[in-house]
Formats: sequence, C-alpha cells, structure tokens
Amino acid sequence: MQSEEIDLGTVAAVDAQEVESEALSAVAAAGTVDEIERVRVEYLGRKSPLKLALREVRDRETGMTLNALRERIETTIDAREEELRRAELDRRLIEERVDVTIPGEDVRRGHLHLITQIRREFEDIFLGLGYTVVDGREVETTRYNFDALNFPEGHPSRSPLQTLFLDEETVLRTETSPSQIRTMEAQEPPVYIVSLGRVYRRDTPDATHTPTFHQAEGLAVDEGITLGDLLGTLDYLCKALFGESRKTDFRIHHFPFTEPSVEAYVSCHVCDGSGCPVCRHSGWIEVGGSGVVDPNLFEFVGYDPEKYTGFAFGWGLERIAVLRHGIPDLRELWRNDPRLLGQF
Amino acid sequence: MLVPLSWLGDYVTVKATPEEIARRLAISSLDVERILDVGVRDLDGNIGRFLVGRVLEVEAHPNADRLRVCQVDVGEGDARQIVCGAWNFEAGATVAVALPGAYLPILDAPLDERELRGQASRGMILAEDEVGLGDDHAGIMLLEDGLEPGRPLVDVLPIRDRVLDATPTVNRVDQLSMVGIAREVAALLDGELHIPEVEDPAVVDEEPVDIRIEDLERCPRYIGRVFRDVTVAPSPQWLRARLHLADIRSISNVVDVTNYVMHVWGSPLHAFDRSKLAEGRIVVRRAQPGEKVRTLDGVNRKLEQEDLVIADAERAVALAAIMGGEETEVTEETTEVLLEAANFEPLGILASSERHALRTAGSNRWEKGVDAYLAEPAAKLASRLLVDLAGARMTGSTDVHGELPERRVVHLRPERASKVIGLEIPPDEQRKTLEGFGFEVSPEWDVTVPTWRARDVTREVDLVEEVARPVLDRVPLTMPRRRHVQGRLSPSQRLRRLTEDVLVGAGLSEAYTWSLAASDPSFEAIRLPDPMTADQAVLRTTLLPGLVSALQTGIDVGADARGLFEIARVYLPSDEQLPEERWRLAAIVAGGYAAAKGVLEALHDALKLELRVERDTHALLHPGKTAKMEAGVLGELHPTLLEGTWGGFEIDLETLFSQVPERSVYEDVITYPAVNQDIAVAVDEDVEVGALVDAAREAGGPLLREARVFDVYRGEQVGEGRKSVAIHLAFQSPERTLTDEEAADLRGVIVEALASSFGAELRA
Repeated sequence: MQSEEIDLGTVAAVDAQEVESEALSAVAAAGTVDEIERVRVEYLGRKSPLKLALREVRDRETGMTLNALRERIETTIDAREEELRRAELDRRLIEERVDVTIPGEDVRRGHLHLITQIRREFEDIFLGLGYTVVDGREVETTRYNFDALNFPEGHPSRSPLQTLFLDEETVLRTETSPSQIRTMEAQEPPVYIVSLGRVYRRDTPDATHTPTFHQAEGLAVDEGITLGDLLGTLDYLCKALFGESRKTDFRIHHFPFTEPSVEAYVSCHVCDGSGCPVCRHSGWIEVGGSGVVDPNLFEFVGYDPEKYTGFAFGWGLERIAVLRHGIPDLRELWRNDPRLLGQF
Repeated sequence: MLVPLSWLGDYVTVKATPEEIARRLAISSLDVERILDVGVRDLDGNIGRFLVGRVLEVEAHPNADRLRVCQVDVGEGDARQIVCGAWNFEAGATVAVALPGAYLPILDAPLDERELRGQASRGMILAEDEVGLGDDHAGIMLLEDGLEPGRPLVDVLPIRDRVLDATPTVNRVDQLSMVGIAREVAALLDGELHIPEVEDPAVVDEEPVDIRIEDLERCPRYIGRVFRDVTVAPSPQWLRARLHLADIRSISNVVDVTNYVMHVWGSPLHAFDRSKLAEGRIVVRRAQPGEKVRTLDGVNRKLEQEDLVIADAERAVALAAIMGGEETEVTEETTEVLLEAANFEPLGILASSERHALRTAGSNRWEKGVDAYLAEPAAKLASRLLVDLAGARMTGSTDVHGELPERRVVHLRPERASKVIGLEIPPDEQRKTLEGFGFEVSPEWDVTVPTWRARDVTREVDLVEEVARPVLDRVPLTMPRRRHVQGRLSPSQRLRRLTEDVLVGAGLSEAYTWSLAASDPSFEAIRLPDPMTADQAVLRTTLLPGLVSALQTGIDVGADARGLFEIARVYLPSDEQLPEERWRLAAIVAGGYAAAKGVLEALHDALKLELRVERDTHALLHPGKTAKMEAGVLGELHPTLLEGTWGGFEIDLETLFSQVPERSVYEDVITYPAVNQDIAVAVDEDVEVGALVDAAREAGGPLLREARVFDVYRGEQVGEGRKSVAIHLAFQSPERTLTDEEAADLRGVIVEALASSFGAELRA
C-alpha cells in the first residue's frame, strides 16, 4: 500500500515496470469484488501515483508509456473484477437454494359454485352463437307457467302435487320456459335467447332430486328455422360441454310446448359408448328435452306461425354437474360444505 | 309397459332383431328403457331340450312316499322314465319336459340323468317357476290336451323370450297396448300388421242387460255383457305365461282375461260377480254425499260427489275406471259375470285417482284418454276368451253410449312438413308413413286421423311430427342462419359476473341456499299456503340468514372457512299479483367489520365506486358495528349468530350497479408529480373519521387528489376520550407542478377546517 503523502518529486520518475508488477500482483491477490475495487482506487484512482504522474507528464513519450500502462492495469482489473463478480454470484445462487417443494405463500382465493361455473359456460357457448341471456322471473302466473306454454288442462304439472302454488293463479315456476313467452311478447322475431335460473318442483329431496334446481333454456325464432337447426344446435352444445368427439342421438318425445318434441342423448363420455354405470350400460346419456316451438305459443304472443318457426330446449344444470363432474348426490350442491365447493 | 316379443309376434311380422326393434321404437315412438332376457338360455341347442310330453304311466315310487315314477312320451318312440314330486296330474296329462343336458334358469349346472332313491330319472317334468314363466311351484305345468308329444316346448310356451321395457309419452296412450306397439313396429320396420280379430260369441238364451249411464260426459260409453255358467279356475298355462312376462299377476281365468285384453287393446275392462249386483243393474253415476265403497285393495273409501262410481240398483260397487269393489269381486264361487268394457273421460278419473291417491293399470290409461272405439274389440276378445276359457255362455250384450267422436280431418302440406323438418321428404314417403300409422290420406292431402290418435293429432303440425318421427335420424344437423342477431351480456349481467369474480378473488366462496326458508325477518314475506316442509315455507326477502346457516355447515365440518357469498333473488311483496324479484348479494367474511368492509371496498373499487357508509342498526348485526349505504347494509355479525368474529353485508345489486359510471375518463396523474403530506390530528372519540375526511376534501378543493386515513391511535399522549387520526394527503394538479408553499398552504387550510369543525388539534 502506498502512503497518502506522495513525494511529488518522485512521481514523474515513477517506475513503470515496478508499478505494473506491483499492480498485477495486487490484482492477483484480490479475492473479493470489494478488494479489487480497492486495488482499482490504489493504482488508478485520482490520487494514485500513476494518475498523479500522468497529470505531471510533459513529454509525449512518457505520456504514451504511462497511458499504455494505465490501460493494461485497467484491463487486468476489469477482467479480474468480472471474474470475481461471477464467482460471487455463483456462490450466492448456490447458497440461496431452497426446497422447491415447500408450499407457496397463502393467497386467499375463493371458488365459484359449480353450478355458476356451468351456467357461465352454457351462457358463453350461446353468446358465441349470437344469443342473448335473459333473466326470467321465478314467481310466475299460471298463465305464463302453464297456459301460454300449452299445458293441457289436467296435465300433472298443473297439480299441487307437483308444483308449489302461492295461490290459485301464482306458482314458483316449474321450468324456465315462461321467460320464452315474456321475451316473445316483448319483441318481434328474430329471437335468439338463453335463460338460466332456479326452478321449483314438489320433489322430495333425494340423491337425484332437489325441490329447487337450475334449468337452462334456449329459444330461437326466425324465418326458416327447422328441426334440423335444433338438432345441429344441440349437437354443437353436446360437443361443447362433453367433448368434440361425442356423438349425439335424438329420439322423439312429447312436451306441451313443442311439436315435434325431441329428447337429446349424448354418447357416454365415460365409456365412449361401450356401456358403463354412468350411462346405465346403454352407451347413451339423456341430456335434455327440446322441440319445434308449438304454434299455440306463437298464437299466444302474436307471432305469425306461417312466417316464423322456432325451436326451444331445456337442460338441467345439475344434470351436467352430475354427468361431467361425478356429483353423487344433488343435495350436496346445496350444503355449501367448503370441502366440496373448493373442489371446483 | 312390458312387451314380450313372443306375444307381440302375434300381431306383427317383421324381419328385425329385438335390438333393431327397440332402437327404431326409441327413436320414433317411445322410450325403450331396456330389453330383458327371460326364460331359459338360448345356447348350444338348449331350447331343443325342452319338449312337450305325454304322461303314459304314473306309479308310486317304491322307496319314497312323496315321489312318483312316470313314463313320459316325448316323441322318441320309447318312453322316458322321470321321477317327479308333483301330484297335480295323472296318466294322460300333457306336460312340459326338460331333457338331461338342459340348462334351467334356476340351476347352475345342466340337468343330468340320475337315480332318485334307486329309480332312474331321465329328465324333469317342469313347474312354471323352473322356466321363468311364473311363481307357482305347487305343481307342474299342465298343457292343453292334444299337443303332440315331442313338439318343441318353445312352440307352445314362451320359455325363452326378449321383453321390451317401454314407456310411452303421455300423449300416446295408444302405445300402452300390444296392438298399438305392433302398429308402430309394422310401420317403422316395414312389417306386416295382424290386428287380432275374433268372432264374437253368439248370444244364447238372450236376456236384457240393464245398463244406465247418468253422466254421459264422464262415461261416454258402456258395453255390458252377461255371462252365465262361468267356471272360475286358474288360467291356462299360455295365458299365465304371457301375463307373467308382462308382469301382471295371474288371479283367475276371469280376472286374467280382463287384464290380458287390457294389455292387448289398451282399453281396461272389469268383471263383476253379477249375482251380487242388486237387480243385476249397472248405473254409472256420481257418488252420493257420504257414500262409501270398499275397493279391492281392502280400503274403505269415502266418496265425493266428483267421484264417478259404478253402482248397482242400490249402492256404489266400484270406483269407476280406477278400482273395483270387494263386494262384487269375482271369486271361485262366481258363476255369473257382468263384463264391463266402457270408456271414461280422462280429467275426472285423474282427479279421483289423485284424490284417493290410488293409481292402477286402468287409471293410468284412462287418465290419458282412451279411444272410445276400443271398447268394442276389447269386449269381443274378452267375451271370446270367457267362453273359451271359463266355459261361459254369453246371455246378453248392451252397448250404451252418447255420440261418439267423429274422425277428424286435418290438411297437410307435404312441402310444409319438409320445410319445418329441414329434410326433403318425398310426398309419397310422407303418405306411406301416415298410412302406416293408421291415418287415411286423400289425394288432396286431407288426412283422416285414426280414432286412437284423436286427442293427440288435431293440427297440421301434429301431422308434421308424424312424418318426422320415422326419419328423425336422417335429419341433417344444421345451424340457424342467425341473421340480425348479436350475442352479448347485458350491463348488469356483466357486472354480476365481475362481482362474483371480485369476491372469489377476495377469498370468498360462492354458496347456494334455498329461496324458501322456514321463516323470514319480514312479517310480510310471502308464505306458501301448502309448503312441502316447514323448512321451506316462506319466500325469503333477505339472503343473510341462509348464508349464516351455510357458513355454520363449514364451521361444523371444521373447514377453514374464510367466508361465503351468494348472489340470488329475494321476493318482496308488492301490490301486484307477482312479488318484486330483486338480485341481491350477501357475503359473510371471516374477521369482523373491517374484513367485510375491506371486501366491500374492493368490490366498489372494481366497480369504480366509492363506498360511503353511515351508522345504522340491523337485527343480524352487532349494534355498534353496523352501517348502511344506499344499496344495503354492512356490519359485523351479531356475536350470538356464529362462533368467531364475522363481518357481513347484503346489497341490492340493481341499486349498486345503477351507480356504476358508464366509463372511466383519463385523468393526468403522471405528468406533474403529487406532493404528499401526512397529518395527524387529535379529536374526540365520537368524531367519525369519515367526517374528517369529508371535511378535509371539502377544504382541500380540487387540488387535493387523495385524503386517506391510515392510522388511528389512542394513548396517554392523546388523552382520555380522544384519538389521533393520521391522514395521508396528496396534492396534485394536472396542469403544473405544485410548489411546496402551495401544498403547505392547502394543508394549513385543511388543518384549520378540521380544527374549527371538530376541535381537531394538529399533532404532527
């Protein structure tokens, strides 16, 4: 180490060779970035003999020699510093190693109810097809819940054994279909809507029934709508919900509000149609009712059944939950056990 | 409806496997749940080991009292010796025999030749339960005499069968009959239909039949027939077998005939012991006040005037169309029978059936509307069988009816059918389809509807369905053209989703709780007049109570419950017929008032709203920790509700969403830096910090961009009954950099305002 007090007289006469060899051995001796920084100050700093000598130099030759010396020392220091930094980083990276299997910090995140997730998925499928989503009401008049939907007198659904009545003319809706009627009354065709929500039936709760459940309803009314359009739409829906490789099958059925009426089946997503408990060994799973809108509904809302045709379908969201997510007992969906909610 | 294919084969000839038949029916006609395999197995010639036999000799077994040794001709030339434990036959009987090697459904191994107590037994004489044709094991099956020994048993009895388990839709009561299903099969699979035609037995020694219909609307037709010399006995084996396969209990020949014919034609019948009918008379009328009848199930039924009854000259003897009465039941002693082949109007029967909670195979058909014209072929077939099987003489027959419905004519445009279905179906094919289903089609496409479809097919669109049924699996899958449509969520639907996402992000999980509750805080809440259970009796006007119960579930199971929320409707009573339904959001958050408020603030922030509250009270909330806002209420749950400390809120979403600004507009907070100044002021304990912030804002004017409380401190230095409130102030102008002097001036104004309004002392 050099003392602070430098004899200015000797500076100009600095011995380049000596300085160089001293500096190089100091560089070699530096073991840390801090040490190499001290070496830099000592040999190249403002008060270093070399800097002072350079300041004093008057002849070109000496200047060139000293500058060359300075550059050499600087290069050597830089290289050494880089080397030491790299070594320190390497050491740090090794020291900082952790057990990567330790859990992360706790972030509070809740869960949407499974039915909400399915509801959104269903809505999104139809939003993509150009449908809008309608929020129907849950308490309905018998006029909208039954009469307008062409339920014949004496239909079992009209009985208080199956339906929850508030008074003779008011019920908790038994299906989402009244929203079809209210939508058609409020607007002219074309109509492309889905309506999802709670429906109510006088069903004793068991593994496959709850007195409240959720339906998803679709309605399309336009010029030239065909039964084939219904089947194509349901085929698309089945594939969107259960997988592109699913097949669909349609079978004639009967509902008051559609004619013809069709029940849709999807090839079993569990066994791919070869037969398993989920599809009760038939290879097919019934997924929902549907049909061509009965002209009586058009009459009720004042649409011209010669000009317009339409189709409608209704699915149970719980059924999708059971089929796709293996919910063994529908009542569990209402118990709000965090251990169940958190699975989805 | 169980459809044994061996039986169905009487009415339709078709080249198709049971699976093909089931598949076609499922697509086009009715639900086929499954195909049952019944009887003996059809493998390795097994069925050939079951033969008709004639018993040539019967001798006592030398070594066993209960057994007999029989010599049985099974068409092999030499008789077979078979040891048998049944005693209901003698030599000459025609019986069913299984040969050694035969697999019986009740045995795991094939039948072998063996010695029974020293006597060789080379086969088995069969009882009905041994081949799946019944439950009776009291004796062996006795076949009708005259069958040739050695004939395959399967020709005589359905020892091997496939049975369709089919469920027609409610509009197709015609398919609750063998004939109806045979018609579908013939039409769908190009088969040949054989409608059963029998010769009506001749009336001998004719006597009048006294039938009176007092209510022609509810009973449009009543065919009554009288039979004498009836011998009530077990049914012959073929009839017992058919009923067994259709899951109908065999009772006696007379009762079995009525059930058998119902299954064939779909028109239920009833047989009365005529000797027990006062004056031998039938009166179809409404029940009289206080009248009672004891039905066949042994229940004394109190009748109402709305009930239609079959009565004799004195009293009700049957609940019409639903169940007969015990007093006039056909028994072993019966020799005189009155056969009822009638027609009943569906709605009255449905109401009575519901009122008495009594559903029978008969009421199940009547309530769907049976074709009145079917009474006649049903009466004929039943009469024929009563004469043939019960040795009866028919001594009288009457057909009382009002005007029976005429067959409806409906016009069809075949091109319209193709257009609605979305498949070009040639008119000839449409015509053929309709004719196959029993419609008559004129050259001008006026279509006459068969009587058994009268209730179901009344309009052109109903005919379109008929045309569509057989081709459903050929209809191309297309999508609607959807011109002029656009799909999107409404603003409030979008905001509901956003709300859900914010709450999930804040650690809450979504709960679903019932709309119906045991009770509701509002006295005006709508009550169901006839709830299913006391738990679900009132339409709720608030979500919080349900959510409290839901959370209790989580606590009970020991889960780490962080909180729940629900978005659902409440039902507020209104002056209209229908209640007002509003979307509500409720949440319960672990940690008390501040935790719930934090979540609610986060939601407001997401909606670009500022949460402003004022003190309030609420039955479910802590009296000192409750606040209200325009859209709802916020607070700490009353400590008595749940273990632990919980905060909660309930918000009317439409109110909340109506405040959401349509869009956020850019504000320059970047170009010129803010000057931050924190102050701490001491105020009396009862001064609300919200009021301090409001006053600061008011005083600070537009250059005060932010005023936020970040600490409240109580301690000796502040003094008893006082608190120190630290407020972060940020001053900023979008036009220039504020000087320190300007900021200091504004700060001074604010401090002064706080001092004058609240006696606030500046601490720092």
